[in-house]
Amino acid sequence: MKIVRIHNELLGTYGDRGNADVLAYRAGLAGISTTVVDVSYRDLIPHDGDIYLLGGAEDAAQILSCAALSSGALHGAVEKGAVVLAICAGFQILGKTFYANGVEQRGLGLLNISTVPGDKRYVGDIKIHPDLLGVELTGFENHGGKTILGAGTQPFGNVVVGHGNGDSGVDGAISGNIFGTYLHGPVLARNPEFADLLLSRAHGAPVQVNDVLADHYAQLRRRVVK
Amino acid sequence: MDQLRLKIAMLIARSAGFLSKSLGRGAGETLPGRVLLALCPNAIELLSASRVVILVSGTNGKTSTTKELASQVRTVGTVVTSGSGSNLTRGVAGALMKDSVFAVLEVDELHLPAVVAATNPALVLLLNLTRDQLHRMHEVKRVAARWHEMCKAADPSTAFIADVDDPFVNYSITGAASAIRVSFGGAAHGRHPDGAVCPSCGRYLDWNSGKYHCDCGLSNEYADHVFDGGSAGYRNFVLASIAADLAGVHNALSNIELRNDFRGMERATEKVFAGVKARLRLTKNPASWTEALQGVTGNNVILVLNAREVDGIDTSWIWDVSYAFLAGKKVVVTGERGADLAYRLHVEGVESTLVDTFDQAIAVFGVGSVEVLAAYTAFFGLVNR
Repeated sequence: MKIVRIHNELLGTYGDRGNADVLAYRAGLAGISTTVVDVSYRDLIPHDGDIYLLGGAEDAAQILSCAALSSGALHGAVEKGAVVLAICAGFQILGKTFYANGVEQRGLGLLNISTVPGDKRYVGDIKIHPDLLGVELTGFENHGGKTILGAGTQPFGNVVVGHGNGDSGVDGAISGNIFGTYLHGPVLARNPEFADLLLSRAHGAPVQVNDVLADHYAQLRRRVVK
Repeated sequence: MDQLRLKIAMLIARSAGFLSKSLGRGAGETLPGRVLLALCPNAIELLSASRVVILVSGTNGKTSTTKELASQVRTVGTVVTSGSGSNLTRGVAGALMKDSVFAVLEVDELHLPAVVAATNPALVLLLNLTRDQLHRMHEVKRVAARWHEMCKAADPSTAFIADVDDPFVNYSITGAASAIRVSFGGAAHGRHPDGAVCPSCGRYLDWNSGKYHCDCGLSNEYADHVFDGGSAGYRNFVLASIAADLAGVHNALSNIELRNDFRGMERATEKVFAGVKARLRLTKNPASWTEALQGVTGNNVILVLNAREVDGIDTSWIWDVSYAFLAGKKVVVTGERGADLAYRLHVEGVESTLVDTFDQAIAVFGVGSVEVLAAYTAFFGLVNR
């Protein structure tokens, strides 16, 4: 299984690089061999990845990353059914438009969403309930965007604590195998069930891993964030 | 009128500090400053007017650099300086309540512009800017942008001493009337950990062995002083010595690259807990963790992670530090967010013992010596025990 970590030097402001590490680690526990490919801004994006990861970033970095991705490599991978997990600025990039440096930017259009500046910065612990998983997910949000879902686009989860897409009561968006969310943490470190869902999608068969420490950590965060 | 108001405010502030100390309330450092500013909002300005003010700011190394500089400057005149870690405006006000020729003050990054405006300093040391407390700072670029405005607006008599191997610091001083550009032949570890984008123009920054050059002109290829590379402690020691030299300290810069008296600046405190000898190091963000991990020489290690306000309430950044070096050592993890760290180590193949309290962590070792890397609040909690 090939895990592609996109532009971590740009999209790595909030520790989201850990999502790739967690996927590789849990895949290993499940007996699935993986390679994590770090793609930097100057590199070409491989077309044959199974999971693509994008993280949170500062404005200027978000603009650079989006420009580099507009060549279409990610579009090709998505058409082939690749799994995409995009966090915060990375999530916004996947939409139709977003704001960076105070200016509206054209996104990749992989998700039917658009993001506008919020009334304030949303900073703090967040807890959401995605129907897809049946458990609550915890994380940390730190952004100033309000994401509006276009017609037919499903949110990733309902917000229990925090803000997510702004004040609409939901967080993130999903479409096929594309998952977008505002949860840092990294989200897959704090929520192993979500990691296993992504691995299952990429593997084409259910992947479930037993890791006592991972479960202990996830439960602890779920108890504390309220 | 101002002076009379100041005198009365100082009198009340001192009594408040004295009262607080004698009641055992602590906060002896910040309470007088807080009272002083409440009663006389322009106290910092009034108290700075008649002395030579030198400010120190940056993400890492503020306290040790300030301490080092104060001790050097003390050889040529009386000095007031900040209490350990009290670097907000109230700490600055508190430090200025005693008379002196020099004031050598540590200032929080976000408070620096206001303190520069109020004190009209002779020198300002800008050490570094990396990710830290993002829930409060939001973005490194945001802090650099504020420093940039500050440098542009500063009085021409203020000189900024800047480590230009840090592109955020370098960007900050563009536009300053007077700046002393210092380079150590390039950034440590080949690049700045958060420096992929030019803070000045937003282009992608290509790094080559610690050097960068952007089409917009931002570059560390030009400096007024170029020194050999070294640890973060050494860099800050050199910057402090340049300031000391300008303040009139004799021989402050002689043979600087050959000396090792900066070792005292790498904040490690020795203390014994229940018979176990501990070397305590402060670790508060990816850059300081990376620096501190390189200093671990023994086999027994305790890591303490908290996430209170000054620690940064988000712990996501621990995934940007590599702990692989600790594999094979006896590692015990604790702190209010110990579970976050234990799991992060686990995924990197470093197994650790997770315990609830620091005393339990010490008990795991029982005898001998241990190296302790502790988050801000945990570090000061242990030092002050």
